[in-house]
This record gives sequence, C-alpha cells and structure tokens, in this order.
Amino acid sequence: MCLIEPGQSGECRVRINIDGVLRTVVYGFPCSLNIDPIEKKPLFHFLPGTGILSIATVGCNLHCLNCQNWEISQANPEDSQVVFCPPERLVSLCRESRCLSLAYTYTDPIIYYEYTYDTAKLARQEGIRNVLVTAGYINEEPWRKLLKYIDAANIDLKGISDDFYVRICSGTLKPVQEALVLAKASGILVEVTNLIIPTLNDKDEQMRELSRWVKANLGGETPLHFSGFTPKYKMQHLPPTSLKTLETAREIAISEGLDYVYIGNVRSKEGENTYCPGCKSLLIERKGYTILQNRLKEGGCPDCGKEIYGVWK
Amino acid sequence: MTRRKFVQKLIQTGSAIIAGTCWLAKKAAPRKFVRAIKVKNYPGSLRSLRDISKQSKWGG
Repeated sequence: MCLIEPGQSGECRVRINIDGVLRTVVYGFPCSLNIDPIEKKPLFHFLPGTGILSIATVGCNLHCLNCQNWEISQANPEDSQVVFCPPERLVSLCRESRCLSLAYTYTDPIIYYEYTYDTAKLARQEGIRNVLVTAGYINEEPWRKLLKYIDAANIDLKGISDDFYVRICSGTLKPVQEALVLAKASGILVEVTNLIIPTLNDKDEQMRELSRWVKANLGGETPLHFSGFTPKYKMQHLPPTSLKTLETAREIAISEGLDYVYIGNVRSKEGENTYCPGCKSLLIERKGYTILQNRLKEGGCPDCGKEIYGVWK
Repeated sequence: MTRRKFVQKLIQTGSAIIAGTCWLAKKAAPRKFVRAIKVKNYPGSLRSLRDISKQSKWGG
C-alpha cells in the first residue's frame, strides 16, 4: 500500500494527495478508447467473436520491466494526451457502437478504480457487460466492491514466486493469488494469462507449479493463456519466447489437469482452438483474433454434450 | 521531589504512553478503503475523440 505524502502521487502516478485528500487525476480521461476483438484481451470463453469497447487511462501500480504498454502504463499524466469521456459518455458510445461489453484494460483498471467502478455500475444498468483485464494487484475490500459489477476478467498470473514479482514487477505474489481466488469465488468468468519470458519464468517446473496452483485454487475449467514475450521496455536484451517453449508449457498445463490451455502472441494451430475436454473434438477454431468456426450448441459440445465453461451469449 | 511534582510527572508519563499507544494502534490497524475524488482539470493535454472502430495498438 502506498503512503502518499501531501503533494505526492502514489506508485501509479495518477492518485495524488492534495491537502490531505486522495484525488484521482485520470477519472473520465482515457488515453485510449478503441473497439477490439474480445479475443485480444485475451478472452476466449466470453462472448466469442464480438467487439468490445476497450479503454485505459495512463498509470499502473506495477512497473513490469517487460511491459508491452509501458508508454502509457509508465507515463506521467501531465505528459500524456487524453480525451474527456465521463462514464455516461462511455456507456452511450458502447451502445452506439453496438458493443455488448466494455473492457477496462491496457494499463490497469485498479489505478483508475473510481472511473471503472462508476462506469461499470452504469453499464450494468444498461445491460452492457463489464470486463477487467488486470494484474490483480489490489486489496480485498475494493476488489470485492468492484466485482459486484463485473462479468468477466482476464487476470495475469505473471509468475509463481514472490521473487519474480519483486524483481520483475515491483510487486508481490500473494495479493494477486488472493484476488484470483476471490474473483473466481464471486462467480464471474475468469481467464488467466501467464507471459513466458525466456530465462526468467520459462522452466518446466515453474510452468508445472503455476498450472497446479491454477487447478487447485481456481479449478481445472479455468482457461489459461500462455503468452509469448516480445522484447520491450527494459527487457530488450532478451529473446522472444519460442513456439516450442509455449507448446511445452501448454502440454504441461494439460497434463496437470487444466481443460483449456491456449497459446498467445505466437501463431499456433492447436494453441488457438478450443477443444472439448471430454471427447477432444474441435469446438471453436480460431485464426488470430478471428473465429473461423464455432460448433458449440447451447454452450455445450455438439458431439458428447459436455458443458463447456464460458459465457456464450 | 514534592508530591505535586511527582503527580505531574505521572500524568505526563501516562499521557505520553497513551499517545504512543494510540499512534501505534493507528499504524497497526488495517487501512480502510478510501475512494479518491476526481479532479476537474486534467494535468496534461486534451484531444478530440478519434475513430474508435480501429483496433488499439496496445496489448490486452
């Protein structure tokens, strides 16, 4: 937790102590506002094939050395250019664009918490679903309050050791694991992403430990995405993740009992598709963010009838 | 030391202990969630809304 002196901001740079009052400088001022394919979040088990209005403000409460969005996550608000878009305007934009859902993403919705909360509450009233894409580095009380208005989340589990979180992200592991468990317990759809960085978290035993943790604490039906790293920000000296490493991670996770394991950022025929955990038949075929075919019937496998974890409409 | 001075010292010491205990208790107590208040003006620059139908260049 940040202890913010008067006139200073927290670690995220966007929450400031002004005369003893905590203020958020980014409420209603997103730096990015676009319609993305929902698969880009990545969310593979929530309203597949739909567009999602996605927003972010600058700032982040973590400082991951490999951040692919560092230009906005590590930006100072005074150095950034934004639009004015209060919650009501965001929700009406979503309606006008015929998007079924709104994503709070790119940087981290935790640092623009109040903006996320108010928008999500309004969106819920209008029948628009709310999606968080977050590192999950948040305390329990605000997390519980926010989850009431959320329908789905992709939460990073960046590593499986505290050492990794401290060294690479300037954070700690336990709050993230607790946030994951709470999110799943709240009933929202949860998908997990792990970015595999060569030499840092790409060992077989690390992937095995991570997969076991997901299975034991979130359930085997929780989709897990292994994403390929590309050299960025303060990690330009490392090589990109190989397809072989990602495929090995996927095999390990499946062998540990996870039903839906995907590969992201790198093209992989099997790693992009959804297969029935029961009869192994192809359910959803994807190419990048595009759905080539969706064979699901009423949320179940058309061949063996098994119910497939997800929100399909 | 006179009795009066002794009592004064006792009160001072007691006050200091109570103040210290309260300070420690405040430090140790779990922080309550505080909702931040929004500012009226953004500290950086504003631009108009561009075409939102294009996919974002940012990951996630």
